[in-house]
Amino acid sequence: MMDKLYLVARIADTRVALRSRSIHSVVTVGTPVEVPGAPPHVAGLFALRSRVFTLIDPHVVVGLSSVPVAPGQRVVVVDVADHGYALLADEIEDVCFIDAPETRITGKLLPGWARVADAMIEHQGHSLLVVDPSHFITLPALKAA
Amino acid sequence: MDDLLNDFLAETAEILAEAGGALVAWEADPADRGQLDAIFRLVHTIKGSSGFLSLPRVTALSHAAEDALDQVRRGNRPATAALVTGVLGIIDRLSQLCAILGQDGIEPAGDDSDVIAALAVPDEAPGKAIEPAETRLRREDDVVVDMQGWRSIRVPLPLLDSVMTGVTDIVLARNEFARMLRESGANPSLIASFDRLSDSIAGMRQSVSQMRMQRIDKLFAPLPRIVRDLAKDLGKKIRFATSGGEVELDREMMENIRDPLIHIVRNAIDHGIEGLDGRVAAGKDVTATISVSARQSGNQIEIEVRDDGRGLSPDALVQKAISARVLSAADARALTPREKLDLIFRPGFSTAAKVTAISGRGVGMDIVKANVEKIGGVVDLRNDEGRGLSVVLRVPMTLTIISGLMVRAAGQYFAIPRGAVREILLETSDSVRVERLGGGEIVTVRGEQFPLLRLETILGRNRDHRDDVDDRALVLVRPGQGQSYALSVAAIHDHEELVIKPAAPMIMATGLYAGTTLPDNGRPVLLLDVQGILAAAAIDASEAGRQMDQAVEAEAAAAAERNAAQLLLFRDIGGRTRGVRLSVIERVEEVPALALFESGGQIQAQIGDDIFPVHAAALPEDQGTLKLLRLHDGQMVLCYPIDAVIDIVRLPELVQPASAPGLVAGIVIVGGEPVELIDPFWLMEQYARGTAAPAGRAPLCRIADDHDGWGDNFLAPILQSAGYRIASGNTGEAADVLLSLSVDGGANAEEGGVPVIRLRSSVAASGPEDETVYRYDRGALLEALRRSIAGGRP
Repeated sequence: MMDKLYLVARIADTRVALRSRSIHSVVTVGTPVEVPGAPPHVAGLFALRSRVFTLIDPHVVVGLSSVPVAPGQRVVVVDVADHGYALLADEIEDVCFIDAPETRITGKLLPGWARVADAMIEHQGHSLLVVDPSHFITLPALKAA
Repeated sequence: MDDLLNDFLAETAEILAEAGGALVAWEADPADRGQLDAIFRLVHTIKGSSGFLSLPRVTALSHAAEDALDQVRRGNRPATAALVTGVLGIIDRLSQLCAILGQDGIEPAGDDSDVIAALAVPDEAPGKAIEPAETRLRREDDVVVDMQGWRSIRVPLPLLDSVMTGVTDIVLARNEFARMLRESGANPSLIASFDRLSDSIAGMRQSVSQMRMQRIDKLFAPLPRIVRDLAKDLGKKIRFATSGGEVELDREMMENIRDPLIHIVRNAIDHGIEGLDGRVAAGKDVTATISVSARQSGNQIEIEVRDDGRGLSPDALVQKAISARVLSAADARALTPREKLDLIFRPGFSTAAKVTAISGRGVGMDIVKANVEKIGGVVDLRNDEGRGLSVVLRVPMTLTIISGLMVRAAGQYFAIPRGAVREILLETSDSVRVERLGGGEIVTVRGEQFPLLRLETILGRNRDHRDDVDDRALVLVRPGQGQSYALSVAAIHDHEELVIKPAAPMIMATGLYAGTTLPDNGRPVLLLDVQGILAAAAIDASEAGRQMDQAVEAEAAAAAERNAAQLLLFRDIGGRTRGVRLSVIERVEEVPALALFESGGQIQAQIGDDIFPVHAAALPEDQGTLKLLRLHDGQMVLCYPIDAVIDIVRLPELVQPASAPGLVAGIVIVGGEPVELIDPFWLMEQYARGTAAPAGRAPLCRIADDHDGWGDNFLAPILQSAGYRIASGNTGEAADVLLSLSVDGGANAEEGGVPVIRLRSSVAASGPEDETVYRYDRGALLEALRRSIAGGRP
């Protein structure tokens, strides 16, 4: 049943569902350490249990302007290729079982979202995008250039 | 029992590797008492543990080695090469035994008397014993030290990792707790006991950090032995040096680069270093140098194996690649020089013209590269064709601890690897002069100029308004050999031991950072990549040409070194050690014995299209090849056959001259042995007669009144071999001298102004006024010619 466990959160001003198996944990951060010269979606570094995590601002990834990190803000921690990352979340709502099947995305999404969203899912009368957190780690080639 | 045996085997393998290196070092300097003691302790440890496990062969072997070494320690026995070879033999046998023990679990039966006998004291009276030890020996002490040094347990690496993570978490929790204690205004006794806890946590963190780390010395330990043995097998002389042994590297990494490193060193000895003759011919020191150095550069360890051999020839590599069918001729034309060098990493490529026992083990540079890349490393070649090759392994440290300098810029902290920092100065210091030049900045520190980079500018940040301009500091950074620059930062914080971890790929991709670290305050700090900053700033940080006076000095020193007379030591055909000034040697030739022939009682050698006299009494008896020293006096060449080149040394100032002029000019002492010094002047004198003067300058003789052909048939060849040209017929060219074959012929009148020499047929002169020369008196004739020509051209 782990397959059906989702984290529902508001990321980059959008309610999304994240598959729980792709998530390491949800924690709060203090003030991150800036990384001068890094790509714009890198919001900084922070330490958690002796590991250093790279903070990612999903706003930038989907094409919005960056949002400053508020102390105590919650982040979604993920591991990609042996490196730890944390996605800044506007709000963490719940972890819950969603029995409904994942469906193909209907309608046209903004290019930024189209790249990170895998599917859609119906939850409590609302449609949520199912996103893969690892897609937030890299910027689209166009933006990086 | 099995556990005990495994521990013993693991420990012994380490000891044996270390002992090999220590022995070779001791051989080079037998007076080094510390090395001897260390070797003795190592052997003693093996003996002790093996006795415990009842391994009689191991015990007997180690006992024999211990015994021999102990005699040396007590001054009863000299330290000789034979002894070192004997002990190395024992160490090899022990390694074999341990390998079998590891497989079968029991000690195989066998006889070791051969290697033990090799250690027996030779009958001859001891020649030069080393200095007896001045301190009294206390073996009990040695034993105590050694037991502590080698008591260890083996722990799986993941366990160490989890301990490491745990301790770091404790540190972070402590820091948070400390902050809360301060804020809550706890009473002093509570804070004091917390501080005690805090200190012990710091100590614990230190120990745990070191657990996974090993000095790279361990990796280097077996190398001296390998170099010694291989150089001996191949008849090469090699000086081996390691540096940077204090750099620490993760144990796991170390395991992964051990074999590649050994392979590269073997390659250097086998393929890179030329033979003795090749080195002399190339004008290099006979003793080759191989150096292995480790250096820390941010998050990476750089291990460089450098030799001063022949280097790689890109074109030869291409030829070999084509003949080995790993490359088509069409593809070869499209290769850049860099790609040509990289051919050696192609599978199936071997640089050796023939596969030798040493390098041809089926392991090529392709395997080396694959192994290094597997652990995220890079293999790089720095080729200097004809002068040497450097192979550089760059491997990540993953989890590593470096000493870092914490600096502040744009309101945040950064770390700089302490190893790359040369000096720290305040920007306001009197010895510092900062200037703006054409939009860039340079700083002059005590007469030396450095490009100046401001960290904020490189990072694209503004200066923090809270930073005090007077605090600004300059960090003189030396990112690599021969490069340096000044990095201006807002303030220097402190030094700290830092655990470096790789940063996320997109952060590493900026090229500005070498990793991240977590100091005690729990806030991540970026480690600056001092080399990458240079690339980002796009400046030339090369030190070359910056300090004129130093460059001039170095040039003068090098010139003085070049001017010092050098002596080529060689073994001649008779097995004697002789020497000759290096400067008179043109080159060393290796020729087939058939190139030598006898003519007119003199041995000659044909080399190419030239024929040179050879200083030898008889033709060589054996066929095969022969080595010839080509002595050159500026005009003629004389070949001197030798057996082998031994070395090139500085010519000692003290020469004991020989009693009479001859082949040997005198005796010098080189390395405690008498060496006969060849007199090139005498040698050349023996063969210089009759050598033709260089063509074009040869004086022209005209033979007149030659009625019976004696002049053409008998006289002309002698004159020609003495370096004169003969005018035949009417060449129109004015002769320098006229030889008249008739005592009273009229030739004098028609050739006015040209000296005339008249030859007579009778032995006796007709009177005291007679200036004619008897026609078969060769000496007098040549003398008269010489005088006439000298007189003709004042």
